[in-house]
Amino acid sequence: MDLHEEEVSGVTVVEVKGRIDSTTAPALGERLTANLGAPKVRVVLDLSRLEYISSAGFRILLLAAKRADETGSRLVLCGVAGKVRQLFDLGGFLDLFTIVGSRDEGIAALA
Amino acid sequence: MRKPSSLTYSVNEVPPLSVTVLSGLQHVGLISIFLLFPLLVCREAQLSPDKILDVLSLSMLAMGAGAILPALARGPVGSGYLCPSIFTVAYLGPSLLALKAGGLSLVFGMTVFAGCIEAALSRLLRHLRALFPPEIAGLVVVLLGVTIGAIGIRYVLGADVSKPANGRELAVAGISLGTMVALNVWTGGFLRMFCALLGMIVGYAAAALLGILTGSDMQRVMDASLVSVPSVGHLAWSFDFALIGAFAVGALAACLKTIGNVTTCQKMNDAEWVRPDMHSISRGVLADGLGTVTAGVLGTVGVNSSPSAVGLAGATGVTSRRVAYAIGAIFFALAFLPKVASVLSIMPRAVMGAALVFSACFVFVNGVQIITSRLLDVRRTFVIGLAFLSGIAVDLLPGYFAKVPAQFQPLVSSSLVVGMLMAVLLNLVFRFGVRQTERLRVAPDAIASAEIEEFMEARGAAWGARRDVIDRASFNLSQSIETIVEGCEPQGPLDIEASFDEFNLDLRVSYAGAPLELPEKRPTNEEIMGSEKGQRLLAGFMLRRYADRVQATHRAGRSTILFHFDH
Repeated sequence: MDLHEEEVSGVTVVEVKGRIDSTTAPALGERLTANLGAPKVRVVLDLSRLEYISSAGFRILLLAAKRADETGSRLVLCGVAGKVRQLFDLGGFLDLFTIVGSRDEGIAALA
Repeated sequence: MRKPSSLTYSVNEVPPLSVTVLSGLQHVGLISIFLLFPLLVCREAQLSPDKILDVLSLSMLAMGAGAILPALARGPVGSGYLCPSIFTVAYLGPSLLALKAGGLSLVFGMTVFAGCIEAALSRLLRHLRALFPPEIAGLVVVLLGVTIGAIGIRYVLGADVSKPANGRELAVAGISLGTMVALNVWTGGFLRMFCALLGMIVGYAAAALLGILTGSDMQRVMDASLVSVPSVGHLAWSFDFALIGAFAVGALAACLKTIGNVTTCQKMNDAEWVRPDMHSISRGVLADGLGTVTAGVLGTVGVNSSPSAVGLAGATGVTSRRVAYAIGAIFFALAFLPKVASVLSIMPRAVMGAALVFSACFVFVNGVQIITSRLLDVRRTFVIGLAFLSGIAVDLLPGYFAKVPAQFQPLVSSSLVVGMLMAVLLNLVFRFGVRQTERLRVAPDAIASAEIEEFMEARGAAWGARRDVIDRASFNLSQSIETIVEGCEPQGPLDIEASFDEFNLDLRVSYAGAPLELPEKRPTNEEIMGSEKGQRLLAGFMLRRYADRVQATHRAGRSTILFHFDH
């Protein structure tokens, strides 16, 4: 899994490329915890280049969303499509996160 | 069966009478151009103009039967789809051979024989299913599109080298084809539905304006009788063993073409189409064979389901079988209306070509979609690629194939025959070495997720499995291995077994260790976040949901999970 982070208009964009499984989920969890630890932070998680996500990955996303709630921050997911979207649907996660189509839409939603 | 959004009236629906009749007329306008083939045979036989009209009229009766028989939805005959028959290039070569060897009676007799062969093949389709996987059926459709398109291009540009199309003819073809495409792309409703017919009418008008349709053409129409009964005095039937091979190949090609066409019809009418329904195809092939028998009895050449009509139905969004009955009724009427038939007979070559090219586009793309509905490995790539190129070679190098000895000419008579034979042969050859069950052993301390994914991808491609089923199986394999390693304390390697046939994909994961929990109810978010056990319960829930059936056993310390996927 590769993580790439950048700041765009005051929004932190974290792009995940590759697989989120039990091996790689902890690294993503650490990054999101660090980003969402401060209050009123805005984060877009770009999953457009994600190939696979397992239950370990979904647990990390749930924990990240909970962290955001606790600190008054906001987390938006974008690029959830294809096989990955099917997995979100399979696990009942489509309604649990704010999911938009593209990175730009995510940034606009948090502006 | 779920109606696709691209259809206005699907196979089981009843359109308004006006739509049914106009759609029927549109189809008649398109497929009547294939009356060219019996016309060709008549001219080769040097029949008088009156006798030619008799043969054409009887040919229309055959086309009427050829429209209705395939559309029958009850009983052993008919696929139930709008899949009318036309006179086909598959029988043209053998018919000309028969004409040369024994005159028209031999043409008619051998045509009856070919129809019987195809009818017999319809009973064997289920046993021959292994020879005709979806990618070969798709290849047949692609080659049909190419064949129809090539004929259309030849008509547009001038089929005879000595009479290439002039500027006016090219203009008529362009105007006609342009009208059809424009109406199909940029309009909806009535205009889209009848885009081909309107394009043909515009083509006729352009041809008249530009002087391609001449006064003598109009006079021929004026001179024809309004109503008359075609004479059957010329009918006779004979048989020659030497021509069995030629007509049997024609019947086999017709059979495969019908498999492709009925498959296209099934796919066109069902947004949830998964695989060919062989029952429907079998009845369709039987109807096609009986249509050819009828054609032979009526004194004309063999018929076969029409990819251009199927393409037209898809393009216009009207695939109701009622249209087939309308086509049949119209042809039955036309058989007794020589004046109307003579209008069809003066259809400008450019307009015919435009209509063929228009339909060929849809047929070709449909074939590509059927081929790519399955994963393809190198074996299947070579089957499709080599067969396609072999078929195309016939059109690209006609001079070369013309030198093939006469008794083998039927085998190289068209790109379709060559491509089909090559595909079936290569498929048989490449079946060697493809195992339907594959095994993988994974060490719990050395999980390579890429290797696991590649295992399923490679199997899927080798089996020609559906992409969506392989994706689900691949996820289940990866997730189950991950969860077993994390939470079931496996002692020793995990043994994976994947097996496949056309209807089932089964994944078996076996290991020494605690059983994997596969709850039917989703754990709560709090449970998931609360502990790694919650995460494992989520995994088990997703694994159970993603497979069509799950079975988990634990005996003597060994756990086995079976994931079944319907294919």
